[in-house]
Amino acid sequence: MPVGGSWGSRAAVTALLCLGVVPAARAVDVEVVKSGAFKSSIDLSGLRGNDAAASLFRKTLGDDLVRSGWFVLTGPARAVVAVSGTCVRSAGSVTSRCVARNTATGGTFLNRTFRDERDRVRRLAHTVADEIVRSVKGVPGIASTRIAMVGRRGAGKDIYLCDTDGHNVVQLTRDGAVCLAPAWCPGGDLLFYTSLLKGFPDVYRIDLRTHARERVAGFPGLNAGADVSPDGRSLVLTLSKDGNPELYILGLGSRRVSRLTRTRMAAEASPSWAPDGNRVVFVSDRSGSPQLYATGRDGSGYRRLSFRGSENVAPDWGPDGRIAYSSRREGRYELCVLDPSAGTDTRITRGDADYEEPSWAPDSRHIVCTRTAGYHSDLYILDTLGDAPLRLTSLGGDWYSPAWSPQ
Amino acid sequence: MVFTRLVAAIGAGGSRSGRKDMRHRRWVRIAVLGCSMGMLLVGCRRWRGQGAEGDVVTPGALEGDYVLSERIEDGMRITDVNFESVYFHYDSYVVLESEVGKIERVADYLRGNAGVRLVVEGHCDERGSREYNLSLGEHRALAVRAHLIGLGTDAGRIQTRSYGEENPLDPGHSESAWRLNRRCEFALYR
Repeated sequence: MPVGGSWGSRAAVTALLCLGVVPAARAVDVEVVKSGAFKSSIDLSGLRGNDAAASLFRKTLGDDLVRSGWFVLTGPARAVVAVSGTCVRSAGSVTSRCVARNTATGGTFLNRTFRDERDRVRRLAHTVADEIVRSVKGVPGIASTRIAMVGRRGAGKDIYLCDTDGHNVVQLTRDGAVCLAPAWCPGGDLLFYTSLLKGFPDVYRIDLRTHARERVAGFPGLNAGADVSPDGRSLVLTLSKDGNPELYILGLGSRRVSRLTRTRMAAEASPSWAPDGNRVVFVSDRSGSPQLYATGRDGSGYRRLSFRGSENVAPDWGPDGRIAYSSRREGRYELCVLDPSAGTDTRITRGDADYEEPSWAPDSRHIVCTRTAGYHSDLYILDTLGDAPLRLTSLGGDWYSPAWSPQ
Repeated sequence: MVFTRLVAAIGAGGSRSGRKDMRHRRWVRIAVLGCSMGMLLVGCRRWRGQGAEGDVVTPGALEGDYVLSERIEDGMRITDVNFESVYFHYDSYVVLESEVGKIERVADYLRGNAGVRLVVEGHCDERGSREYNLSLGEHRALAVRAHLIGLGTDAGRIQTRSYGEENPLDPGHSESAWRLNRRCEFALYR
């Protein structure tokens, strides 16, 4: 598992040293800064236990905290946050008592007991990591979230899930058909995706608890790229049933279909809901090349959003209102982040490979994307605040179209 | 610029509505045109949005003809009749002059074989996003379908299927491979 946090933490620490970053002047709140990200030093040596479960817990927790982007692991002498506690396995469950203290003030960030009834040590560590991130930094963690993706490991392309550290890979489809574009529902219990299972591109829904599958859009022609509204009640997707690829909203309960675009001369694709559910960003080639546009959910007030780059595709409207997308610049696909309210547009990759299909993490900081180099695709996690990219997928095969779970 | 778009949009509305209520619609259009002229004078902001729809109809077919009929679920694939693929420019669905003859041969065949139905399969090269390429492949297939309808083929006999970039003819990564992969193929069913 080369994605390990040990590599990540080493990279982070090395980067800090290279940058010559020194702890801030205030002794009571020793924080180090790199590329705008405030990192707190944290010490895990107070986590007791030497058995396999305790060691795995401590290792996983440390990796998670580093991967969150908000912490550097240190010894007790320099730590701002000291974590102590236990991780005990008994009778098919695993329990952790965890205390996180502010070493300067003596205050307590966190003092709780966590339990996983299914004996999943890694999962328990992910939960504790997210609680530490939330209680110390006041932001959502990403350790216990999951990533849906498309994998090609033989015939066909199937839908898989994995944890954000690349572990716990689960294959959801085994059809030998081409699957594309997985998308989560806001509750995180359903996954929508496009598949050529029945010979035409259709949209399916898979229940992640039962693995039951159902076709939700099988109109004549194209059915593709569904994105679930923030209230979970409707899909925005591309259909061609009326004779042209256009965007539609499909009510999941009502089954009512309403049309969002009317562009006989153009194709639309890749819709993504705004976090407030009132607008949709999408790709249209009405200008002659694929570019980003936004429109209201009733089809009103559309406007073009992208003006640089010969192609701008695969937008994902993130939880804090910024849009990540893939932009073709000097022959390469780069990832960019567009802030419609601030009017800014920032490139976050540097031309060493093709970066495509971004998907925001719920922390509004990290982005998972497809990175293609030498005709081989893997998924990478990028940090918009500047930490080094981390490779997520380490199994053989090609990996595409990641979708970060909403929680 | 905005004005020509506006006229194009209204003109397109005209060819769309070749139905019973055409006379009524014409009056509505004249009224809309009048209002629009007023708006044009006041400011074009709203119209710029709507006028850019570019809703132009290929000659010889009404919009109703473009609506896809139900899929062929039970057809048997005809494998002993094959037609040449239709090729496209990058990021384009426009049927090239050089490819028209291929489509005409398919139309001729369908004219002589009444029981045969057709699925036009649209493909793209590997560049561009996978999702956009699904739409582009479908747009190409629909453009070929519209051309067949224009040549007199019954719209109800023609389905479309997009493979996006998922089914390249040439797995290479060169310009020559991409040229072969930007195509529409014809799948015949009885």
